[in-house]
Amino acid sequence: MRIRTMMQGCFLQGGEKMKKSKRSGVLLAASMLALSAGNCLAGDVIWWTPNWGEARARDLADKFMKANPDTKIKIEVTTSDGLPQRVLTTLQSGAAPDLIEVQHGWVNGYAQNNLVIPLDDTLQDRGDYVPAALDYVTWNGKLWAIPYRIETLAVIYNKGHFKEAGLDPEKPPQTWDEFVKTATALTRGGRFGFAVTGGGEVGNTIFRSLPFIWMNGGDIISKDAKTALINKPEAVEAVKFYTDFYKKKISPTSTLENDGIANRRLFIAEKVSMYQAGQFDLASILKENSKIDIGVMQIPHPQGKNTAAILGGWSFIVPKSAKNPTETKKFIQFLNTPENQGYFTDTFPARVSSMKLPRFDEPILAGYKAMLPYGRPAPSHKNWVQITQAYFNNVQGIMLGKEEPQEAMDNAADDIQSLLDE
Amino acid sequence: MSRQSTGYWFILPALVVLAMLIAYPVAYTGLLSVTDSQSNFVGVKNFATVLRSRATPQAFWNTLYWVGGSIIFQVLLGTATAILLNQSFPGRSIVRSVALIPWVIPSIVAATTFAWMFHTEFGIINYMMTAPGLIEQPIGWLTNRDTVMPVLIAINVWKLFPFVAVMVLAGLQSIPKELYEAARVDGANFWEEVRHIMLPQVRPVLVAVTLLLVIWGLNSITIIYAITRGGPANSTLITPIQIFRIAFENVQFNQAAALSVMFFAVAILIVFFYIKALAAAPGEAR
Repeated sequence: MRIRTMMQGCFLQGGEKMKKSKRSGVLLAASMLALSAGNCLAGDVIWWTPNWGEARARDLADKFMKANPDTKIKIEVTTSDGLPQRVLTTLQSGAAPDLIEVQHGWVNGYAQNNLVIPLDDTLQDRGDYVPAALDYVTWNGKLWAIPYRIETLAVIYNKGHFKEAGLDPEKPPQTWDEFVKTATALTRGGRFGFAVTGGGEVGNTIFRSLPFIWMNGGDIISKDAKTALINKPEAVEAVKFYTDFYKKKISPTSTLENDGIANRRLFIAEKVSMYQAGQFDLASILKENSKIDIGVMQIPHPQGKNTAAILGGWSFIVPKSAKNPTETKKFIQFLNTPENQGYFTDTFPARVSSMKLPRFDEPILAGYKAMLPYGRPAPSHKNWVQITQAYFNNVQGIMLGKEEPQEAMDNAADDIQSLLDE
Repeated sequence: MSRQSTGYWFILPALVVLAMLIAYPVAYTGLLSVTDSQSNFVGVKNFATVLRSRATPQAFWNTLYWVGGSIIFQVLLGTATAILLNQSFPGRSIVRSVALIPWVIPSIVAATTFAWMFHTEFGIINYMMTAPGLIEQPIGWLTNRDTVMPVLIAINVWKLFPFVAVMVLAGLQSIPKELYEAARVDGANFWEEVRHIMLPQVRPVLVAVTLLLVIWGLNSITIIYAITRGGPANSTLITPIQIFRIAFENVQFNQAAALSVMFFAVAILIVFFYIKALAAAPGEAR
């Protein structure tokens, strides 16, 4: 009897939702499916979590279930390949899980399209979070996700190659001039000094080249997201700096087909001496070529200016169509106690106090820790993906020799401006 | 009368399935193309936005290049292979099965393998050419804008010519022996047999196969997307990939629908003229 009324309740709820929505045809089918699958039972929290943290996720879920026997956490493991599309589809279908992990940068779009619920009431100890991480997932004065993992890129280098080239591996380059000199000196015997990316997913090149634009005082779009700034002198100079590594043959011949993973492979094969990467690359380098003596340095900056990096990382969101928001919020609070967050993150935690855990004290992480204060959120705009695509096409255009940097960035600015004006 | 209406009941399930699987998505795409993401009617705005994009004409010409280039070589190579496999020589059945391999390999596997083979640093093709000194520097097959499309077309030809070969071979084997005998009595050599017997006899097969290849070529995403994602700098961007990008990377389903509608119209036109021009040529045996 109780189950029956509960099912009826679910039906009513589903029905109301359908009326509100305008894409009712799809939703009807989707929510019928969801209902028949029995997702509607109280106390279940369905959690989509990426495969790299699966073991830790199961561990935390078990602990939570032990303390809260009424709630059942159902884990569904995701992979990063195609995840944005998958998350978006489930959010729009109206049959979403209760808890999803997404990259910070995606959250704004969900908030603007009314696909997730605000989580201001779920966040504990606001002052303990890195402000840039919270800024990332704030829109219209509300917090739409809880960041738990943050990271930036730094430059990983091969200390052995430095010695072979007569350079001091303990004194890596700091300014752009030194950087180019070092990279040129390291380019010898079929080896390349510094690998930039020019292929693969757009994000690879954005994460690696936009910081150079920032530290030179430029940007892709203005703060108010109304004007394209990519063809201004500071930005063009930085883009030229980035693409020159390839044009001057200090970056591998294959640059235009390389993404972050290809660069890591080249580094492991000792064909490349320096490249930009996150701390998650360290483990696989050690595993596949333990002979490399790895160094990590801050990304070099123009003389007299600060370095910069895009703050990356992951957040928890609760979809609008989540069946059990109350339990889910409770579970999120459990996941984000300083200790649990520090345990769960793959890179660094978003909470300052979690950072004190011993696992973040390893010396090799020092270079990454030093980059964190310079991490900034990537710009946000509803057409951001297309904006980055327009930028990326023209960066490739420079590398292909089709256009000079100024000309290419003028074209990019044209495209970007029309996307901003839409 | 009643018998007739009973008949309709029997085909009703099939009709419902067809409506759900074909009519609904097509109609929904049409609806999406004239509305915005909040389902408000916006007229031709989506079409205008898509057409204004610099990538659209580029993708259109790339698509013609890709489809045209692929088909010419697929048909030539496939027909030649079929004629070869139709001759009797020792080990013919083994050669016949080996020739099928590219066709049975999944596209994504082929694409990924070729991407590695053509890779500038790690690729075996550059290795095989630099080792004996054929070329001095490795060639960026997939990153040079002059080589990337021909390379992709070559991969596509490799993938699909066995299909043409199998179809044409089947056509060749249905040609009556008497035709060859009559030709030989008249003193025809092998090339004259090819020209005056084989090709005219398999013409309907070639027409059907080419039509299929046109449709597949217009819809193909896998090979290009897996290898270059339409890059570098859009030089291998074809319209299906542009539609995919707009819909699933930029989340502009309405603009993607608008482009799909236009692409659909162009594809229908091409197929229509093709059938008119080739399939209906007079005086041919069918």
